Amino acid sequence: MSALLTVEDLRVEFDTYGGVVQAVRGVSFNVEAGRTLAIVGESGCGKSVTVQSMMGLIPMPPGRITSGSAKLDGAEILGRTRIDGTSIRGAQIGMIFQDPMTSLNPTMTIGAQIAETLQVHRGHSRQQALARAVELLAMTRIPEAEKRAAQYPFEFSGGMLQRSMIAMAIACEPAILIADEPSTALDVTIQAQILDLLRDLQRENGMSIILITHDLGVVARMADQVAVMYAGQIVENGAVDEVFYESAHPYTLGLNDAMPTNNPDAEQVLTPIDGSPPDLFDPPKGCAYGARCPHTMRICGPNNPGAFDLSPSHYARCWLHHPDAERRVDGITYREAAS
Amino acid sequence: MGRYALKRLVQGAITVWFIATATFFAMHMVPGDPLASDKAVSEKIRANLEAKYGLDKPLLTQYGIYMGNLARGDFGISFTQENRRVNDIIREHFPVSATLGILAVVFAALGGILWGALTALNRNRMPDIVIMLLVILGISVPSFVFAALGQLTLVNINNLLGFSLLPVAGWGTVAHMLIPSLVLGLGTMAYLTRLMRSSMLEIMNSDFVRTARSKGVPAPRIFTHHQLRNAILPVITVLGPSIAVITTGGFVVEIVFAIPGLGRYFVQAVQQSDYTVIMGTTVFYGAFLVLMVIIVDLVYGLIDPRVRLE
Repeated sequence: MSALLTVEDLRVEFDTYGGVVQAVRGVSFNVEAGRTLAIVGESGCGKSVTVQSMMGLIPMPPGRITSGSAKLDGAEILGRTRIDGTSIRGAQIGMIFQDPMTSLNPTMTIGAQIAETLQVHRGHSRQQALARAVELLAMTRIPEAEKRAAQYPFEFSGGMLQRSMIAMAIACEPAILIADEPSTALDVTIQAQILDLLRDLQRENGMSIILITHDLGVVARMADQVAVMYAGQIVENGAVDEVFYESAHPYTLGLNDAMPTNNPDAEQVLTPIDGSPPDLFDPPKGCAYGARCPHTMRICGPNNPGAFDLSPSHYARCWLHHPDAERRVDGITYREAAS
Repeated sequence: MGRYALKRLVQGAITVWFIATATFFAMHMVPGDPLASDKAVSEKIRANLEAKYGLDKPLLTQYGIYMGNLARGDFGISFTQENRRVNDIIREHFPVSATLGILAVVFAALGGILWGALTALNRNRMPDIVIMLLVILGISVPSFVFAALGQLTLVNINNLLGFSLLPVAGWGTVAHMLIPSLVLGLGTMAYLTRLMRSSMLEIMNSDFVRTARSKGVPAPRIFTHHQLRNAILPVITVLGPSIAVITTGGFVVEIVFAIPGLGRYFVQAVQQSDYTVIMGTTVFYGAFLVLMVIIVDLVYGLIDPRVRLE
C-alpha cells in the first residue's frame, strides 16, 4: 500500500533561555491511507512537537524546523498552509487535543465552533454550516444533537466535549486525523468510548489516524503501525504485532515491563526504567538510550546506531542488531535471515 | 434573569439607604452648620432661622423628616442658594456631569481594550514597550495634572494655529467635551490597558486558540471570535468600579475646565455645610453608581454564558 503521508528526517529546535532544545532529531515515518499510526513515548520525547510542526502549530520563533520534509499525497506541507488550493489545517488534516475541557472556546456555542470549520474551508453559510454541525454531532453519538449544538462547552461533560472536538476535526472530511493523547484526560470508560468512536469513524470514511499516546493499552487497541519515540528520535518502528511480540529495542522492552497487565493471576513485577531521559540541550553523541539501557556496549557511547531492518516493515535503532553483536539478550527479537 | 435583576435592585436600594444615613450623621457631626457662615447673626435671628429650617429639633427627628422627604423624591431646598431646590440643581447640572463621565468611560474602555490587545499582540516589541511606558505614566499621574497640562497644550496649539481648534474651557458642543473626557478617562484607560494586556496574553496561549488555529481559522477571525471576546471579560468586571472612579474624579476636571457640572456644587456645598445639597448630591451619586454596577453585572451575563443567570 502506498503511503498517504511521508515524513522524512524532520528536525525541530526551540530557542529557550537555557539554550537551544533539539526536540525532534531526524524523525521519519509513513502513514498509509485508512490505517492508524501510533506514536508512543514518554513525556517530552517530542511526539507532540512532531505532529504540531506538521500542522504549523509551533510558535516560530522560538520554534524552528531545521530540516526535513512531510509530503501529503506527494505535496510538501511543511511550512505551508495550503496545497492544491485547499487548506491543510482543518481541511486536509484535522486535529484533536488532550484536554477537551480547555480546548474549546468557552464563549461560543458548540454548534458555532463546529460550523466555523465549514464556514472557513467550505464557504458554507452560517445556517448551512450549523445544520451540518448538528449532523456531525449526531455522527459522534451525541444525543439530542440539535439541542446540544446550541449549548456552551461548560454545559458538556469531558467525554461529550471530546466528541464535539472530533466532530469539529472531521467536519471537512480530512485525509488524516491527528489525535494528540485524545483519551488521557478522560476517565477509563469514557476513554474506551472515544477510541471506539474514532475507529468506527475511520471505518466509515477511510481516514488515516495518527495517534499520539503514552498508553500501550491504547496502542494495542487502536494501532496498525507503531513508532516508539525516545529523546526526539524513533527508536523502533513496525506493525503493531511486530513491536509488541517481536520487540527489537531495549526501550520498547522496558516500556512493556513497566506496564501492568490486567491478568490477576500473572506473577508480574513492574520494572521501572532507571534514570531519566537525556538532556536535549546537549543530546548524547551516541545512542540516547545508552545511559539507561541494561545492555549497553562500548560502541553505544560514541556512536548513534542507524536503523537496522528486521523485516520490510520493522526496524530498530540499536547496535544489538549489528551483525557483529552477540545475539544473547533475552526478550529481544533478532532478524532470522541474518544468522 | 428578571428575578436576579430584582434582587440586585433591592440590594442596591439598601446600599443607597445606608449611604444616605451614614452621610446624614457624618455631616451633622462635623463642627459648624449652614448658618455659621452668615455674618453677625444675633442669637435671636439664629434661633428663628434654626426653627425655620427645623435645625432646632432633635437629630433623630430631623433624620426622620429627611428620610420621609427622600422617599417622596424631595431633596429639599438649598441653604445657601436663594430659593433653589436641590432637585433643580441636580436636574440642571447632573446631565452635564453624566455626559462627561460616560464619554470618559467610553474612551477608557475602548482605549484600554485597543491598546491592551495591541501590546499583547506585539509583546516585547516596540509598540508594547512604548505603550506600557505611557501606561505607567497614566496610572501614576493624577487627573488634575493631566487636566492642567491638557489645557496648556490646547492653548499652545490654538496659538500656533492662529485659530481655536478646540475650545480650552466651557461646555456646550461636542468640541468642548473631547479633551475633558479624554483627560478624565486617561488614568482608567491606562489601568484597563494593563488588565487587557495580561488577559490577552493568557488567552493567546490558551488551548482553545490553538484549537482554532488547528481548524485553519484565519488570524483576524481568531482575534475577533476567539481572543477578544474572552479577553475582555476581566475588563468588563472592573468597569463598574471604574465608573465610580471616573465620575468622582470628574469633580476636579469640571473645575479646571469650567464645566457647569454637579461637581462644583458638591464641593461648594461641603465648604459651606449646605446640608441639603450635600445630602442630595451624595445620595443621588450613590444611587447612580449602584445602578451602573448592577447594569455592568447584567451585561456581563450577555457576554459570558457561564454567568448567565436564572
